[in-house]
Amino acid sequence: MNAINTPTDLSPQARTAAIVQGLLAFMARDGASDEAFNQQALALFVHQFQHNPAFQRFCRQKGQTPRTVNRWQGIPAVPISAFKALTLSCQPLADTDRVFMTSGTTQGDVKGKHHHPTLAVYDASMRANFSQRFMRGTDRMAMGILFPTEVEMPNSSLAHYLALAVQDFGTAGSQYFLTPQGLDTARLCAALAQAEQTGTPYALLGASYSLVHLMDALLQQGRSFALPAGSRVLDTGGFKGQSRDIPMAQFYAQLSSLLGVPASHCINMYGMTELSTQFYDAGNAVLPSVKSGPHWIRSRLVNPMTGEEVAHGAHGVLAHCDLANFNSVTTILTEDVGVAVDGGFLLLGRAEGAQAKGCSLAVEAFLQAARV
Amino acid sequence: MTTLHAVAGYLPGFRAEELAWQTLHFEGPGERLEVAVPELSPAQWVALAERVKQGSRAYLKTRTVSQIIAVVDRAVARLLDPADPWRQQADRLLPLVTGFDAEMVRLGLTAYLKTFRQPQLQRFVAEDFANPKLLDEFQPRPKGGFAKAMGPDLLVHIWAGNVPGLPIWSLISGLLVKAGNIGKLPGAEPLFAGWFARLLVDEDPGLADCLAVGWWKGGDAAREQALFAQADVVLAYGGNAALQALRQQVPVTTRFLGYGHKLSFGMVSRAALDARKAQGTAHLAAYDVVRYDQQGCYSPQLFFVERGGKVSPRDFSQYLAHELASFEHKFARRVLPLDDAASVARWQQAQEMQLFTQPGNALIGEADAPWRVAYADQLQPLAPSALNRTVQVVAVDRLEDVVPVIGRSRAFLQTVGLAAAPAELFALAEALGRAGVTRISALGAMTAPEAGWHHDGRFNLLDLVQMVEIEQSAELAAERFAPYAD
Repeated sequence: MNAINTPTDLSPQARTAAIVQGLLAFMARDGASDEAFNQQALALFVHQFQHNPAFQRFCRQKGQTPRTVNRWQGIPAVPISAFKALTLSCQPLADTDRVFMTSGTTQGDVKGKHHHPTLAVYDASMRANFSQRFMRGTDRMAMGILFPTEVEMPNSSLAHYLALAVQDFGTAGSQYFLTPQGLDTARLCAALAQAEQTGTPYALLGASYSLVHLMDALLQQGRSFALPAGSRVLDTGGFKGQSRDIPMAQFYAQLSSLLGVPASHCINMYGMTELSTQFYDAGNAVLPSVKSGPHWIRSRLVNPMTGEEVAHGAHGVLAHCDLANFNSVTTILTEDVGVAVDGGFLLLGRAEGAQAKGCSLAVEAFLQAARV
Repeated sequence: MTTLHAVAGYLPGFRAEELAWQTLHFEGPGERLEVAVPELSPAQWVALAERVKQGSRAYLKTRTVSQIIAVVDRAVARLLDPADPWRQQADRLLPLVTGFDAEMVRLGLTAYLKTFRQPQLQRFVAEDFANPKLLDEFQPRPKGGFAKAMGPDLLVHIWAGNVPGLPIWSLISGLLVKAGNIGKLPGAEPLFAGWFARLLVDEDPGLADCLAVGWWKGGDAAREQALFAQADVVLAYGGNAALQALRQQVPVTTRFLGYGHKLSFGMVSRAALDARKAQGTAHLAAYDVVRYDQQGCYSPQLFFVERGGKVSPRDFSQYLAHELASFEHKFARRVLPLDDAASVARWQQAQEMQLFTQPGNALIGEADAPWRVAYADQLQPLAPSALNRTVQVVAVDRLEDVVPVIGRSRAFLQTVGLAAAPAELFALAEALGRAGVTRISALGAMTAPEAGWHHDGRFNLLDLVQMVEIEQSAELAAERFAPYAD
């Protein structure tokens, strides 16, 4: 039925190698028809059901097996909280695995873990997608990174993502500007000033909240830049309470005015520790911007209680089927609210724990109190 | 889809065109409701505060408590009358605003209003004042001298939540101590408080300037500061974060009474779990869950059920599930907006994850059922449910075992619905009270506190007044200056 339903007598490593090979070929194609995507997704489902015991139990709890699932939409979507509670891996865990962890907000929080026996697929997914959606035909650029290095944060998927960006798409002059003491504004301003003077396009990439810190520093110093044409910004992750929370329109307007990069060149990346593929928009001149991914990831908007797809145009919670997630689970249920539109989806924010409508204590408030 | 319109609030001394108006939108099956809520500028709030203070001084403070009770009784009687247009309006619009089942709102409102009739209000006052005349005139004190309880000139209420009618609890408390009252409407149910104010004024036009009800968007520091600076007492309902923010706007010399969100639960003794009684117990427990979909601070979020009865805790969770399913036919759960649905989903996912490590647990009900019962085989840390008819049944060897577990959440505890034998009741009451619980009711009565209930263990009326004392020395000293002194 498909290319990657591997014989079970192979060693786990050999199985993984075969799957990786098949996936890399799939990703290298120009695109994928519905049928091709479906086949690949179902093949991976069979594989993950067979070799990922926690996932198999999860599926059985939902009454689903490879016998009952015949479309990729029917693959049980694993809630991201399961990455905290369960070990989701087809290959037995090894010291050589790269493990990406979610950022817990306090010490007591359990972190979600995503096991990667190899990063070959993650890296290929990132490179192909980043090249097309952010570099847009440019081979290399001088990059400024507003995030810790991969050495400082070995379990951060974003640190790895940004390290790949610098390694494969950055020029020698690329630098990190986030030190343990905070944002090195002076060095960053010097780099921006140099780009301005030499007319060399510059790319600034980092966490959304670090960009807010940068803007706050620039405003305080009364400084601004007019970066040369072709310069661009990539932000990701939202503000997470790490900086002031500002409306998106204001965020991009301020980025434009302080850096001289038009909102059309300010690109937001939407990624998750639990995925191996990222989504991008085509700039943020018009808000909210449409997010989309490459041909090896598909998304649905579902009712979070039933997992059933909501009517087109209705708000739902995003469920992603990422074929690059070959070792954990392809299909995850997020806590992000979105709405389907032509060409992708709009991201409307996190489904915050419902605010108490009455006077009964709600979970979020209780947890918050427990953290203090 | 038809669109209905309503105007919220009651603001004496202002013409509609002098105010800014905001529209709050509500939607039910086939119907929309637009509620116009009045917004005052900071200066208008100050002017209103002055008006209400003067009004209460000039009129309310000259009335006796009995006279005030009589007016409230007449207003409540009208709301209890199914033929009265005010009541009909409430029955028509409150389900639309809150999303709650119409019949549930109707029954709940009637039961609630009955606690504000004349005899119940007298009891309400007597709970806090053994001698209610303390509120009317200086009364002799056993220690000597005289004392009078004086209500504030201005009591500001910050109401919150979608449980219909809740604001009138504190509003009536304010009236009983003869305070001038200004209330901020809850955005989730902005109608009832304003209606009640108008009804009161209709019954006693003298009250016209003694109370007012308006609105602003929560977190508006300028308005909050302007109004709170005029208040003697600020009474607020809300989550701790909201209360914290409000308290920062209240002058240090002004009394702040905060009522935070609470967690309540049920306890079922093995004595209530024989074959004959267990189903009835589960029925009452389910009723407490269904009432207002657990939105009230007194609503149970979980049940601790004792092992050793004829019916096991696990079987009890099945009984409870069955009763919740039956209630759905009578009182359908409100349609959940996406954020609530996401919360319920997250709670379900967490329960499902636990099934992997705790094979003795169970999750009862279909994923899309409008209720879910999670059964836990072992005692675990106290945690809220996702509300909206999601509830946990926790098996315990002995009910006393619950006490150390809940103690860590002391600040959030409120009601315990208890099904137990008399000796157990009193032994547990002592331990629960020490742990922070302030109210113990029967199962089935959790959501209907009796008249004169001490909300969160506090004194509804005593907390609002200040005592003015004439000490014996003053009385004796005065004698010397009497014209007839020898």
